[in-house]
Amino acid sequence: MTAPLLELRTVRKDFALGQGLFAKRRILTALDGIDLSIAPGETLALVGESGCGKSTLGRIVAGLMPATAGEILFDGHPPARGKARARQIQIVMQDPFGALNPKMSVGELIAEPALLHGLVTRGTTPARVAELLSLVGLPEGVAPRYPHALSGGQRQRVAIARALATDPKLIVADEAVSALDVSVQAQIANLLKDIQARTGVSLLFISHGLSLVHHISDRVAVMYLGRIVEDGPTADLFARPRHPYTRALISATPEPVPGSSADRMHLTGEVPSPLALPSGCRFRTRCPHATDICAEVDPPRTAEGAAHVACHLAHRLPAYQSQTPEPAPRLQQAIALYRAAAARLDAA
Amino acid sequence: MTDLPAGEIPAGSSSRTWRRMRRNPAMAIGVTVLTAVVFFALIGPMISPYDPYDTALRMRLKPPSAAHWLGTDSQGRDLATRLMYGARTTLMLGLAGVAFAALTGGAIGLLAAFYKRLDNPLMRLIDVLLSFPSILFGLSLAAMMGPGLHSLILAIGLSIMPGIARISRGAALSVMAQDFMDGGRVIGLPDVTLMRRYLLANAYAPILTYVTLAFGDAVLLAAALGFLGLGLQPPTAELGSIAAEGRSFLFIAPHVSFAASALIFLIVLPVNMLGDTLRDAADRRAS
Repeated sequence: MTAPLLELRTVRKDFALGQGLFAKRRILTALDGIDLSIAPGETLALVGESGCGKSTLGRIVAGLMPATAGEILFDGHPPARGKARARQIQIVMQDPFGALNPKMSVGELIAEPALLHGLVTRGTTPARVAELLSLVGLPEGVAPRYPHALSGGQRQRVAIARALATDPKLIVADEAVSALDVSVQAQIANLLKDIQARTGVSLLFISHGLSLVHHISDRVAVMYLGRIVEDGPTADLFARPRHPYTRALISATPEPVPGSSADRMHLTGEVPSPLALPSGCRFRTRCPHATDICAEVDPPRTAEGAAHVACHLAHRLPAYQSQTPEPAPRLQQAIALYRAAAARLDAA
Repeated sequence: MTDLPAGEIPAGSSSRTWRRMRRNPAMAIGVTVLTAVVFFALIGPMISPYDPYDTALRMRLKPPSAAHWLGTDSQGRDLATRLMYGARTTLMLGLAGVAFAALTGGAIGLLAAFYKRLDNPLMRLIDVLLSFPSILFGLSLAAMMGPGLHSLILAIGLSIMPGIARISRGAALSVMAQDFMDGGRVIGLPDVTLMRRYLLANAYAPILTYVTLAFGDAVLLAAALGFLGLGLQPPTAELGSIAAEGRSFLFIAPHVSFAASALIFLIVLPVNMLGDTLRDAADRRAS
């Protein structure tokens, strides 16, 4: 295995709540003992429900907030502070309507980081802007336009071009496609993949669903309540999910053929408050397989080949039924019935 | 996906605001009256045949006539000329006061919004300033520094400043909550550039509107302090002090106080009309 580009060791993030004069101060632990690594040129997908801490992790990696504890290594060293960090790591944010300064034209937005870091001169700026625009599949003509004149997908392309302008080694895509139309989501995901193939940039692809993850990522890490409960190579994780939560997430992904997954696993209840974590395993309150030990002992993260999983029952769970769609008998039956009815109507 | 709608670059929000403003008749009236008053104050002194300080005791308190269009004051000076110089002084005081207030108040508001740890100390300071009545403020400053141009501008500026600071902070806070602030930070922009190119560029509209309205307040405050004798000392022509001088002769020569007051009115009213138009045009809910 090559040396990781980014490595997180037991990273922790606490937020202090109740800053008021009389309110009791409470500590919310958004991230707890996160171990993670991304190899050069690799795409790691970080998946979890809203509120599990995945965006916090992305913002810490991008240097937008400090970690409370733990170690972050970039190329074997702590990431640069201040301006130089922008050359290493960039971020593409979720909301394409709020992420671009509305007072700057597309050209200015893309040229700004390159000029700031002295990567272009005044003279070579237009050429570099055109190059970046073509890299993200936008025509040169958009350069004088302002963000409000663009569609969501176009804006996200501009945001990606802006992130690429400093030649970073890693791009954090924080739910970068979630706010877009489904058809545009696929385009942007493919664009990221395409850019990665051309530039060799690493991607931290943060998402709340698994639907695109299968296609875009090399490895997947599943987060639940500030912990990584399972991670592993994408194909392996989808074929043999070891953690009940991962199984539930895969089961929650919409199927293209209705009725194919007969044994869907439904999670009940709410995510517990991070201010009142359950004892033992964090997932036990919603886990259909939970036993006594789950309430008592916090399961350690153990290696399973190339994967890691934090579950006491990882080896005792019922065998996983792959959810790849068999031809759906009920759907075919329905179509046959419909055709027969239509034929009768035509005949009448 | 990448094909763009044909045609011109769509109008930005600022030009939309501008179009809405032009449609408003209050804007036309405000601009016309204010331009006339400014002309009166700036061009008047050049073409007037009289000196604002030449006293002629035989000509005291004369009503308007062909020679003296607005009559004369208690020292026999031409009132129209006095008012031209007075309007210039008062406008200048209001402008200087509001400029001081906008620079300090705007800076305080932006800093308080940008640096969370400065928010509480700066805004409590503003609360303290806000708790002083402006006239009392003027009185104490005049007493401390002696009446004069500097203490007067300082008094006007400090009275207007808290409101501007609060509005600026509010406007800046709503911009700070937007993703593009992080977008600027993550490419490594220094704080100064972030504040100018990202924060101020997106927060200035409500601040500018408030500053326009505050200019009217500043003019009124300048005149009020002048009226109370806390402004520039006689014989300097200043609208408030001219109105105050005429007060003693209100029953035998009402034209002195009346003309000075009317001119103050003609400055403050169009300024407020302009400010209101700006506010309405910038507020999308209003249209």
